[in-house]
Amino acid sequence: MKNYLTLAFKYLLAHPKKTRLEVLSIALAVALVTGIFSMLDVFLQFQKQQIIQDYGNYHLAVADASEEETANIQNRIDVQNAGRWKSLGEGMVNGTACQLAALDKAFAQNMNIQVIQGRYPTEANEIMLEQWATESLYLNANIGDSVRISFANTIEREFVVSGIYHDLGSTKAAGVPGVFLSAAGANQMTPEQNSFYLVEFKKRVNINKAVKEIKTTLNIADDRISLNNHLLAVMGQSDHNAALQIYSIGVILFCIVLIAGIVMIYNTFHISVMERVRQFGLLRCVGASQAQIKKLVKREGLTLTLWAIPLGVFAGILMTFACSAILKFFNNTYFANIPLFSISVIGIGTGIVVGFLTVLIASFLPAKKAARVSPVNAVTGNVDIKISKKKKQGFLTKILPVEMAMGINSAMIRKKTLFLMSCSIALSIILFLGFNALVDFLHTSLKTTKPYTPDISLISQQGIDNELYAKLSEINGVKRVYGRMLGYVEAAFDATRLSDTYKEQMKEITVKDNGLFVPPEKSWLISYDQRQLDWAKADLIAGELSEDKMNRENGVIAVAMHLRKNVSTETAHLQLGDKIYIDTPNGQKELTVMGILRKVPFSSEELALTTLITTEALFTDLTGESAFKAVGIQLKRKNDEGTVDRIKGMVDDTISFLDRRQKNAEINQTFLTMAVFIYGFVTVIAFISILNIINTMHTSVASKTRYLGVMRAVGMSGTQLSKMVMIEAVTYTLSGCLAGCVFGIMLHKQLVTKGFSQFHIVWRFPLPQIILILLLSLLVTMFSVVRPLKRIKSRGIAEILNSL
Amino acid sequence: MEILKTENLSKTYGKAETKVEALKNASFSVSKGEFVSIVGPSGSGKSTLLHLMGALDHPTSGRVLIDDRDIFKMKEEQLAVFRRRNIGFIFQAYNLVPELNVEENITLPLLLDYKKPDKQYIDELIHILGLKERKHHLPSQLSGGQQQRVAIGRALATKPAIILADEPTGNLDSKNSRDVIELMKLSVDRYRQTLIMITHNENYASYAERVFQVEDGVVTELGGGRK
Repeated sequence: MKNYLTLAFKYLLAHPKKTRLEVLSIALAVALVTGIFSMLDVFLQFQKQQIIQDYGNYHLAVADASEEETANIQNRIDVQNAGRWKSLGEGMVNGTACQLAALDKAFAQNMNIQVIQGRYPTEANEIMLEQWATESLYLNANIGDSVRISFANTIEREFVVSGIYHDLGSTKAAGVPGVFLSAAGANQMTPEQNSFYLVEFKKRVNINKAVKEIKTTLNIADDRISLNNHLLAVMGQSDHNAALQIYSIGVILFCIVLIAGIVMIYNTFHISVMERVRQFGLLRCVGASQAQIKKLVKREGLTLTLWAIPLGVFAGILMTFACSAILKFFNNTYFANIPLFSISVIGIGTGIVVGFLTVLIASFLPAKKAARVSPVNAVTGNVDIKISKKKKQGFLTKILPVEMAMGINSAMIRKKTLFLMSCSIALSIILFLGFNALVDFLHTSLKTTKPYTPDISLISQQGIDNELYAKLSEINGVKRVYGRMLGYVEAAFDATRLSDTYKEQMKEITVKDNGLFVPPEKSWLISYDQRQLDWAKADLIAGELSEDKMNRENGVIAVAMHLRKNVSTETAHLQLGDKIYIDTPNGQKELTVMGILRKVPFSSEELALTTLITTEALFTDLTGESAFKAVGIQLKRKNDEGTVDRIKGMVDDTISFLDRRQKNAEINQTFLTMAVFIYGFVTVIAFISILNIINTMHTSVASKTRYLGVMRAVGMSGTQLSKMVMIEAVTYTLSGCLAGCVFGIMLHKQLVTKGFSQFHIVWRFPLPQIILILLLSLLVTMFSVVRPLKRIKSRGIAEILNSL
Repeated sequence: MEILKTENLSKTYGKAETKVEALKNASFSVSKGEFVSIVGPSGSGKSTLLHLMGALDHPTSGRVLIDDRDIFKMKEEQLAVFRRRNIGFIFQAYNLVPELNVEENITLPLLLDYKKPDKQYIDELIHILGLKERKHHLPSQLSGGQQQRVAIGRALATKPAIILADEPTGNLDSKNSRDVIELMKLSVDRYRQTLIMITHNENYASYAERVFQVEDGVVTELGGGRK
């Protein structure tokens, strides 16, 4: 031994089991921090790719940019790529309505437009079609064919198909093919409807600043500027409200992750130092100064950290890898540019910093305490324990069997240990519940294919007759067919229920003496059968959904988030029991609101006041119509093209055939990208929490080896010993659970109601999660003390008593 | 009447080069009511012998019979019950439970047996031990002598047949030591208990009726201490 500090190292080597526990505990904390932060980092990379797929890779869109403006923007040093997007409105191509647009070839890649056959249109008379639209059911055109396009302003022109591009899910689902003209062709078209100059900035550019600069130097008005907020949000550059809300939730949750990491490390270190008061006292006896003891404890901490950090960082990388691997496995084309092994500098950096800093702090305080140990204490062997008067009367031993009383006693008496152990467990629970709020968010705010999502929709203004409906149901590859009637009705209700935003939009709304308003717009009425009502239950905010009851009592279902031209708006705040008066051919009819849905999965074509849902019988009663306007079809196998072709064959001109499968898959992909990470976070936290409990209990039992030896010498039986240790451990766990659940539920509620207020998520008491937490914690606790107890029991009592 | 008997009791620690024979073929018997002291230099095997007699450790070979029952044939649970009813331990380092007060520490073996402590006896014990004023104090609030008296109280609480004491006066000054020895002696006489005590002090050894010497793991009887 060259230096007294070598003692720290020797001590750690001499107690391999204890050292292993401590290293593991620090490694766990580092893994938690590294894992969560790396996952967040990689999550944002994936999310960025996803959003580029969903919305396009541009940051800024300038409406109606002049030549001078585009030239100026293009020449900026911070602009990576830019191109003009012109929307030319609807046009008829071979009798089918299409969306016409033109996009600069240079920017096609950014907007996910991929030519798969032929070439990009360059000449004024060239166009490019979507692959699905080339079929005979739609445009019936192929490369080299010439087609006639009639534009909105009744101009007709001849064009040649020069290329075919990859299907877009949304146009395919809407049944409106996208047709691209060349830039030259678009220039000849007047008037163009909308023109945007799309800009992609270079990496690491402060986009908000750049946009501001562009606005001031070119003197562009605010209403001509729009941002791709989704993309900016994941780049951390959005100042949009929803993004800021989510950022703040992120900050809160990640702060808790940091605190949890710190407490976990501090807890282990505290236990380790406290059990060795005697050893430090002895060192003081042989002449160690207080400063030297402090140094020794710190050196020990440092040594432990050096072993633990690489382990923790490695585990954290592994977690991130698991998430990347899952996503890349499901869709490698989207995420081709993201490496399988993503090394997150931020994640690893925070992990290391937290590990080092915490051990520094964690060893500083116990080191101070260790240094203060008087040499006398070491010799007499008793450490001061501060105890309230009540405890001294021996209250617990009188009402409980002694081993239980002692178990509770020894947990309660060491206030600081109890506090730290509880904190460590409580923080895990708080984190778990906090991240669970994200799961709620995921399920209510992101669309996925639901049980009711059709693979194919048939829409008809004239109505789809029952014969066709029956025939569709009989096709072999079809799983389910269901229909909806749709119509517009004059509906009035109490004027006070109208939202302020709607009143503003409508300017003036006449209110009659009886409090009802004169409807400025019609309302959208939809019919549901019982199956569709059951499907809607997932979005039910209040009331109930029963076809029978609605038929009996003239019920109607209101929708909170009404879609006006695909934009979610709150036009009215209808409540259960509100009366709605609908004009029917046979006079006005009174209906009662029996349920309120958060949203419906489709949007009205016309602007409507609100969306109302009722039963098929009532719908016919109200409107006199009985034919389905929309029929949804679900296939047994999604890519069963044979069945799809058969359905196509049954459809006539009056019916639009909408193939929604690609769009559904894209929506699912968006959901999956987020779900993998959110569930990843929750799993990592749960897993680390469990390991943390096991490890802390292990450490706690191991640190009491001698004490337990004495108890056995005095005559405590093995069963009593187990009971005592178990009760002590359970005391820690329960107090931790209690605190964790109380604060966790508070956080969960705050996040759901305040943080995600824009998404109309109803906060429910997380009872299943709480039960799971309690059961799991208790089971884990019981399980975790079994092994160290067994080891202690297997050793001779004399050996234990002599060992220290 | 024989209360304790050892037959060829041996204990070996370690293997090969580090092998230490702590005890070699110890055979002797102790009668009920006897006061036996064990003397010998450090590391001679005294404590090993005492631990084996109290079943705190397992012998390499040989038997220990208490009341004609082979204690190493008992199962762990049985042994724990047997130990708390029949054997009282007193350690040099007291080994009190720091969270329990004086009264609780003393009644602990009874509580572990789920017995209601005989209030009168415990009060008498506390009185004899001179701890009446300290009943609700914690070990950390007591002096060394007081702590050791609590340990004696704990060892006597169940009125065990045998009391095993490992240098009970090792940490005490001469006055306190004498008090402790006197107390143990008093108890043994009053309740006809058997006391086996390790001591370094020749003076205290002489209180005993019989003195055993342990040297290099070999036990020999020196004869009566008190003539």
